[in-house]
Amino acid sequence: MKFLLGFFIALIMFFPMYAVIICSVKTNGQVLSDPFGIPHPFDLTAFGLVLGKSGEFWGFLYNSIVIAVSTIVIVDLFAMAAGIALSRIRFKGRPLIYNFFIMGMLFPITVAVLPLYLQLRDLGLLGTQGGVILAEAAFGLPMAIFLFTGFFKDIPQELQDACQMDGGGMFTFFFKIVIPISRPVVATVSIITFIQSWNQFLFPLLVLDDSSKFTIPLGIMQFQGQFTTGWNQVMAFITISIIPMAAFYFSAQRYIVAGLTAGAVKG
Amino acid sequence: MKKAGLVFLLITPAFLLFLLFVVVPVIQAGHYSVYRWKGLGPLEQFVGLGNFFRMFGEDIFLTALWNNLKVVILSLLLQLPVAFFFALLIGRKRFPGSMLFRGIYFFPYILAEIAIGIIWKFIYNPEFGLPTMIASFVSGGETKIALLGSTEHAFTAIFIVIFWKYIGFHMILYIAGLQNVPDELEEAAIIDGASKLQVVFHVIIPCMRNTIVISVFLSVVGAFNIFDVVWAMGQGGPVHSTETLVTYLYNFGFKRFAFGYGSAVAIVIFLICLVFNLFYQKYIVGESK
Repeated sequence: MKFLLGFFIALIMFFPMYAVIICSVKTNGQVLSDPFGIPHPFDLTAFGLVLGKSGEFWGFLYNSIVIAVSTIVIVDLFAMAAGIALSRIRFKGRPLIYNFFIMGMLFPITVAVLPLYLQLRDLGLLGTQGGVILAEAAFGLPMAIFLFTGFFKDIPQELQDACQMDGGGMFTFFFKIVIPISRPVVATVSIITFIQSWNQFLFPLLVLDDSSKFTIPLGIMQFQGQFTTGWNQVMAFITISIIPMAAFYFSAQRYIVAGLTAGAVKG
Repeated sequence: MKKAGLVFLLITPAFLLFLLFVVVPVIQAGHYSVYRWKGLGPLEQFVGLGNFFRMFGEDIFLTALWNNLKVVILSLLLQLPVAFFFALLIGRKRFPGSMLFRGIYFFPYILAEIAIGIIWKFIYNPEFGLPTMIASFVSGGETKIALLGSTEHAFTAIFIVIFWKYIGFHMILYIAGLQNVPDELEEAAIIDGASKLQVVFHVIIPCMRNTIVISVFLSVVGAFNIFDVVWAMGQGGPVHSTETLVTYLYNFGFKRFAFGYGSAVAIVIFLICLVFNLFYQKYIVGESK
């Protein structure tokens, strides 16, 4: 009984995904006459058009990858460095600086969006991917610093003392001990940052104006807005854009779920 | 290397980036909010709290605010309880295929909202979409249902999407929280003759207080920042009936280069989140420790 109910809900939850995938392999005529039925004939034209035509999709994909990877690298490096200082070195004003960063988790991106736009304009970053990367990274920092600091705090002090006794300083401690054991927290931070960056719509919408620099979410929006585009092509476009995320998700479901809930549960 | 130098070296990159792109813009938003300003030239037209007074006199702004509040209310009354039910249903170890089901229920959460908005716009299509199909089937004739085209129903249609997209996230939080409920406690209650409902309300929910507190918090703050889904499904239309605070900020602040007015809207969002947060910390979170 329970299983049947769970299964039935799963069907409803999955239905929109089913609709997208099924419509991407239909002719546009069939999408309009029979959107949710089985495809007949099975038709891959839409995929050909999306992947071939002017290569727009590949550009969006490339841009999304560049922005996501750069954001992840910046967030991990900067937050890790700050996290080490905030957890392993005693200095005056440490709680103040920590709270300064953590405060950033309280307010949403949208609050700062208009001045941020002007800021990027004054710095000459408007219309550049650099602007999107820096803004996304800056907003990802509080959560990342929170996670890194929490993780580093739990490293036993004896390990640090032992390093110092052996004549190695802070640097030995970082490279020999901290970095090798922080793989799980790096993974968590990278996953959170990746998903946020990959799906981010508002920042790129504000910052980027030239469609050759668009990310996938902007690309989807633009693509479905062109009135010559058939629904089957829109669906094929969405299906392909979901594939990287779906593959990533189902190969690392456990880590993703743990990562996305880590911030929430620990907070 | 001196300790001070090391600390400086480690903290400065993050500090500068955060200061430049988060802190300074937030402060600027506060500053701009008391001016009338197009974003170019000096800030000259000081209007005091004029932008705020104007805002609360605008029907569209009030609709947007009300829509956000509706999302909060509906999420707390419907989405979270159903998410909790899902967690109890499929989150237990004895449920066959639990991991796969969790995966399916949670999957919408990691998809781009913009893609989701377009998918649902397709499902709601008045010509061939699901509501039209169902209505035609029930009535036996051709009945076209245009949910997103109706000022009355568009917001409900969008809420269904929000419900579907975020329910998995809250379910996963609850499943994590369920791990903290000691099995012995549950078993003892059952042996003592407690009904299933009594176990849920008197054993499970009290043990999960912290998880529920967090889930409610994220749900409320999230509700005030809804943008992408609404944007993809109609940009706040028809006739501004589905406007939210953030789409309002975009449509009436950014698009019209009304940076002063838009910043005032941003400050209102900020204050709502801040006040809620302070209230919540003081009265709810504090008690659970």
